[in-house]
Amino acid sequence: MLPESRSKTMASQAMKIAALVSVGQHPLSRRERRADQDARAVELALSLSPELPSLIHVGSARNESLRAYLGMGLNNLKVLNADQDVDAVPALASYLGEQALDIVLTGVRAECGEGSGLLPYAVADQLGWPIVPRIVSVVSIAGGYAEVWQALPRGQRRALRVPLPFVASVDPAAEPARQSAFGPAQRGSIDSRPCAAEPDQARANWQQHPAKPRPKRLAVAKGGTAAERMKAATAKPQGQGGQVITEGTDREKAEAILARLVAEGVVR
Amino acid sequence: MSLRIRRNPRLERIRRNRLHPEYESLMAARVSAIGPTGLRRINPHQTGFVMVQGRKRLNRLNPDGVGFAGAGQPGRVQAKEKPLHRVADPLGYVAAVLDLPGGRLSSHDRDVLGLAQQLAQAKDEPHAVLAIALGDVRETDLGGAGADRVIQLNQLHNEPLTGYCPELKRAILNATEQHYQPAFWLFPDSIDGGADLGSRWAVQLGERAAVQAWQVSKETTVCRGGSQLTDWHRPTPRVLLLAPECGAPVEELRHEALPLELTLPEPVSVTIEDLGPVSVDPSQIALSEAEFILAAGNGVRNWDQFHQVATVLGATEGASRVAVDDGYMPRHRQVGASGTWVSAWVYLAVGISGAIQHLQGIGQCETVIAINLDAGCDMVRRADLTVIADSEAVFAELLNLMNERQTGIAPQGVTVHEGEARHVA
Amino acid sequence: MLTDWLLPILLFGALALMLIGATRRVLAWRAGRNEPVAVVAGLMAMPRRYLVDLHHVVQRDRFIANTHVATAGGFVAALALALLVHGFGVDSSILNGLILLSAAGMFVGACCIAWRRRNPPGRLSRGPWMRLPKSLLVFSTSLFLITLMTADWFPAGLVGWVFSGLLLIGLALGLAEMLVGMGWGGPMKHAFAGALHLAFHRRPQRFGGGRSTGLKPLNLTDSTLGVAKPTDFAWNQLLGFDACVQCGRCEAVCPAFAAGQPLNPKKLIQDMVVGLSGGTDAGYHGSAYPGKPVGEAKGNPGQVIVDGLVSAETLWSCTTCRACVEECPMMIEHVDAIVDMRRFLTQERGETPGAGVQVLDNLIATDNPGGLDPARRFDWAADLELPLIADVGKADVLFWISDGAFDQRSQRILRAFVAVMRAANVDFAVLGNDECDSGDVARRLGDDATFQRLARHNIEVLGRYEFNRIVTTDPHAFHVLANEYGDFGGHYRVQHHSMFINELMEQGQLNLQPKALGRVTYHDPCYLGRYNGEYESPRSVLSTLGIEVQEMTRSGYRSRCCGGGGGAPITDIPGEYRIADMRVDDARAVEAETIAVACQQCTAMLEGVVEPRPQIKDLAELVSEALVTEARA
Ligand SMILES: Cc1cc2nc3c(=O)[nH]c(=O)nc-3n(C[C@H](O)[C@H](O)[C@H](O)COP(=O)(O)OP(=O)(O)OC[C@H]3O[C@@H](n4cnc5c(N)ncnc54)[C@H](O)[C@@H]3O)c2cc1C
Ligand code: SF4
Ligand code: SF4
Repeated sequence: MLPESRSKTMASQAMKIAALVSVGQHPLSRRERRADQDARAVELALSLSPELPSLIHVGSARNESLRAYLGMGLNNLKVLNADQDVDAVPALASYLGEQALDIVLTGVRAECGEGSGLLPYAVADQLGWPIVPRIVSVVSIAGGYAEVWQALPRGQRRALRVPLPFVASVDPAAEPARQSAFGPAQRGSIDSRPCAAEPDQARANWQQHPAKPRPKRLAVAKGGTAAERMKAATAKPQGQGGQVITEGTDREKAEAILARLVAEGVVR
Repeated sequence: MSLRIRRNPRLERIRRNRLHPEYESLMAARVSAIGPTGLRRINPHQTGFVMVQGRKRLNRLNPDGVGFAGAGQPGRVQAKEKPLHRVADPLGYVAAVLDLPGGRLSSHDRDVLGLAQQLAQAKDEPHAVLAIALGDVRETDLGGAGADRVIQLNQLHNEPLTGYCPELKRAILNATEQHYQPAFWLFPDSIDGGADLGSRWAVQLGERAAVQAWQVSKETTVCRGGSQLTDWHRPTPRVLLLAPECGAPVEELRHEALPLELTLPEPVSVTIEDLGPVSVDPSQIALSEAEFILAAGNGVRNWDQFHQVATVLGATEGASRVAVDDGYMPRHRQVGASGTWVSAWVYLAVGISGAIQHLQGIGQCETVIAINLDAGCDMVRRADLTVIADSEAVFAELLNLMNERQTGIAPQGVTVHEGEARHVA
Repeated sequence: MLTDWLLPILLFGALALMLIGATRRVLAWRAGRNEPVAVVAGLMAMPRRYLVDLHHVVQRDRFIANTHVATAGGFVAALALALLVHGFGVDSSILNGLILLSAAGMFVGACCIAWRRRNPPGRLSRGPWMRLPKSLLVFSTSLFLITLMTADWFPAGLVGWVFSGLLLIGLALGLAEMLVGMGWGGPMKHAFAGALHLAFHRRPQRFGGGRSTGLKPLNLTDSTLGVAKPTDFAWNQLLGFDACVQCGRCEAVCPAFAAGQPLNPKKLIQDMVVGLSGGTDAGYHGSAYPGKPVGEAKGNPGQVIVDGLVSAETLWSCTTCRACVEECPMMIEHVDAIVDMRRFLTQERGETPGAGVQVLDNLIATDNPGGLDPARRFDWAADLELPLIADVGKADVLFWISDGAFDQRSQRILRAFVAVMRAANVDFAVLGNDECDSGDVARRLGDDATFQRLARHNIEVLGRYEFNRIVTTDPHAFHVLANEYGDFGGHYRVQHHSMFINELMEQGQLNLQPKALGRVTYHDPCYLGRYNGEYESPRSVLSTLGIEVQEMTRSGYRSRCCGGGGGAPITDIPGEYRIADMRVDDARAVEAETIAVACQQCTAMLEGVVEPRPQIKDLAELVSEALVTEARA
């Protein structure tokens, strides 16, 4: 949640915000669902303005899993009706360009299909707006500028100032999406309108296969005797019972722990 | 690298070709073959090299008469100085735009450079790997990682290239493109900037970049699709955002890392302004995001000491439910089935018995270290390293040790007031 | 004489006032949702329900049962007779004599109540309820003396204007409490609302020794899902709330209340009364929700309950253990009300707390609460070679595995039960990966849409095969399959493994060599005991194993919940203690070394208590450990 004081200053301004949403899939069951990052984008959009954000999807209006976004308390979802294999970018850009928006939020990567994460960049490029990737919050909006926080590795954050209007993708570290409630999800309306999206030519001759498991690169044992390297290469994988230190002084035990922490790179 | 004997066709080719520019340096490395025990060995039979067909050939050019190329066992190469690979007059470039987090090559950067070399060598004409290193570069050995040429800049028209400045960086890529037109543009697909810059660059070039690419050849590329569930097989595009371990890092050879000239682009107007890092207290990082968690359970008595250790180690604090129920730790610090599921790289569990509900929450952790009195408890079974000791005593020694290391410098940057800290948490 | 004309006025006046109040009350109930009831049959059945079923519950407290018979019986008789004699002027010395008798009986009862109320236990409400015994005394005394007077059985000299005036005032006060208060919301309201509640109860099956514990299905196309405002309750639920006598028996058995979580079932019902009649809880004089002050809650029939009347935390603290319902002498259905309000929170507001959201999302996406790969549900039995019913087509027993399939500890129970069935050569089969979560947790977390989807799926799958009965080790699945799938067309003969093993034992199918276990107690799972009335089978299994159960103070229908039901461990509302800790303390009090359980959820909850504590063993484990394994080739 945004700090109390801030959400109040934000609430005084009515911002026009759109969130681009896609159909996600559960990583294990592959069942269609709301995409987690897109839902976080909707959540962020909801927290920014007293006015409800608009939700936009390019695809089929008949997809019931889109209703999960409506269950977050929105009345309406706009679908630009298109086949599965179209290039959504031009259609989105031209639609968004007509809407007089302040902020367009998206997820970082889609859960289905190519999931390249290029869409927000391409849309921003066509609109001529700046794009800020991986934001976790919008801290303030004033004088035509927004201050946003961007996610960095290991829980770190960076503050950026960006002029409105802009496109931003929302990082998985942002506030999780609120629960989707069944009642509003059923009652919300999905309005579809035709759009002139062209089939995605670039992708026409690509092939899609189930993901092949990638072999994990083994830690390389360099130096030492052949026997030592052999031992390192055939060592038990992790999790099958590790080393237990019972003997020694407390200091030696602490040293063993610290050595491991340094080796893992978490203590520098 | 495994110990399996791997043929390296390129090295073998060089060994057979005395006129190859790298021949000398490669053979020089072979002069003193050092056995695994460290003994210097000279094999009297190894006075020549082996042809592809298996026939032995004498090496008349051999500088000191003992040079011999075996069947190519790179694992045995023990030379101090690796052979230098030169690309004298490249007819093209493979550009690798590096992340250099903290000014140093990440392992991801090395993988990208390794792949860049692979692609460069797959080209029919000589191609050089052009490493683009922008910002504060502390890495001194870009050549060792596979850079034949380097464009290194830490500022553009007095604008530093540190922090977040994708627009400046893109302008430099643009200038590079105009001068050198690399055959491929490679980026690490990473959160350290590579994915962002690469996406911007692809959009600017109007290229459909390959993203999360993990198997790349000159012609085809395999990319991981959404949720890591699909592989997309596609022709290799000019811009590639590469997954970690996309290629083997360069190990046997050195490269020249010669600086390349670049006419600087016109000054660019920057729309996104970096206001600097937000200082985040490690103990306040959300558990789900934390990289290193120090978690306390019912076996911790001295809570001031626990907080102190967490601060000194720079760890994020976690707790078992009992520690939370007893009021020593706030609820949002509870790890486990009814708390937070964490995915830290290192999880240090102190005085936690390892109830199933707790272990469920740390299933994703890479390394678990335990401090416990009971060697038979489930946490010890889960841990990669356990010390059987009293938590308070080990904590005291850890504090001493850290004190001696003289670490614990306070993080710099904007101070966060409490509300924001909670937001981050 | 003064009494001649004033008495009828008093009586009929009080009656009229009562009727006006009662009409208002009835209108307030009727503002609730429509729910068809059998009016005539209900009214006809009412006396029996009152005298038999209700008395059966009240009887658990002998003293108060007898007191109530004297007071209530005396009052009803005295009032009816007084109407004849004093109201309509029927002059009969027999009737007069009966009035005296009734009033005297009432007086004795009232004395007992007054005595009980000298130092009332915490569960009883004070306020107007402290006044009631006094009003009863005044009424019965006045009526007694006035009847003596009008019947001229009184020494004439004593009757003076002042004296008869005082008596009339006393009678008026008594009537005000007894009749006017009945219609206008005084303590005596319970008599009128209670009687009608018995007649129009939403679960008539509960009377006559029956049982009705399954939740009612929600119509998913309703304009508001679940109960937002008091008027969203069915009208007879509202009526039920009004029947509460604030005896606090529910409060005394509620595990959440004892653990200091912000729930008190009695206060909850009283808050519902505040909601249906409008006002604040300032007039409530019982124990509060732990940690929450009294007097700040406001409500009215059209106001959303969780916005000011009852906090959501209160609703989520409930483990749906049904101890309160079991104990309530007025047969009020607390759990129905709580789940109805949870349905609103989850399905309209999207405010399931704690890990509840995650669990529901997982159930939606993967059909199991952990969000694990549904294709790996059956992995636990990879080495057991269990027959899949899809392969064998039919079997005597369909073994319903439940989500224990995904949990290592529960798998030990499942394996033990498989060993027992194999030892008895039971013809059984399993659904394997086709089985889904039963929907129990989703339903109790208020997500009836997900429950209904899971139920329909499971019913469809079960419908493909032939089997005689379903047996499961999970009482929650047992309850849902047996009592809640019926509404969606799934009717099965379902047995809990304790019942099934008991049958096998009775038929001599198991060759057992009991082991010594030390002191063993047995914990009744709520969903086996109170929900399904199964107290005997587990005990009989244990005694066949040669175990003499050390009963805890709270056992059988009064068993204390382990804290694991109703999604409570998932929403995890903080309290002062853990319910499971209190349950283990119950076991420690009888010095048990082993707690025998019959539910994997109970196992998880009780094993979550920090050691040292008694060991926890499921019945299936105890039986399989006692099996004599013949050396097989
Ligand atoms: C439904 C449910 C959900 C639950 N969810 C969670 C959850 O999300 N997270 C969670 O943590 N728990 C959860 N639990 C509780 C869990 O079952 C355990 O009770 C709890 O994890 C135990 O906490 P602990 O390990 O700190 O305490 P203990 O089990 O008491 O373990 C203390 C450990 O400390 C060691 N020790 C003692 N003194 C010292 C010392 N001086 N130095 C070093 N070691 C010492 C002991 O050997 C022991 O191993 C849940 C339980 C249930 C039933
Ligand atoms: S069902 Fe159990 S937990 Fe819920 S209110 Fe009743 S007694 Fe309390
Ligand atoms: S709800 Fe039932 S048990 Fe509880 S106080 Fe009211 S009458 Fe008594």
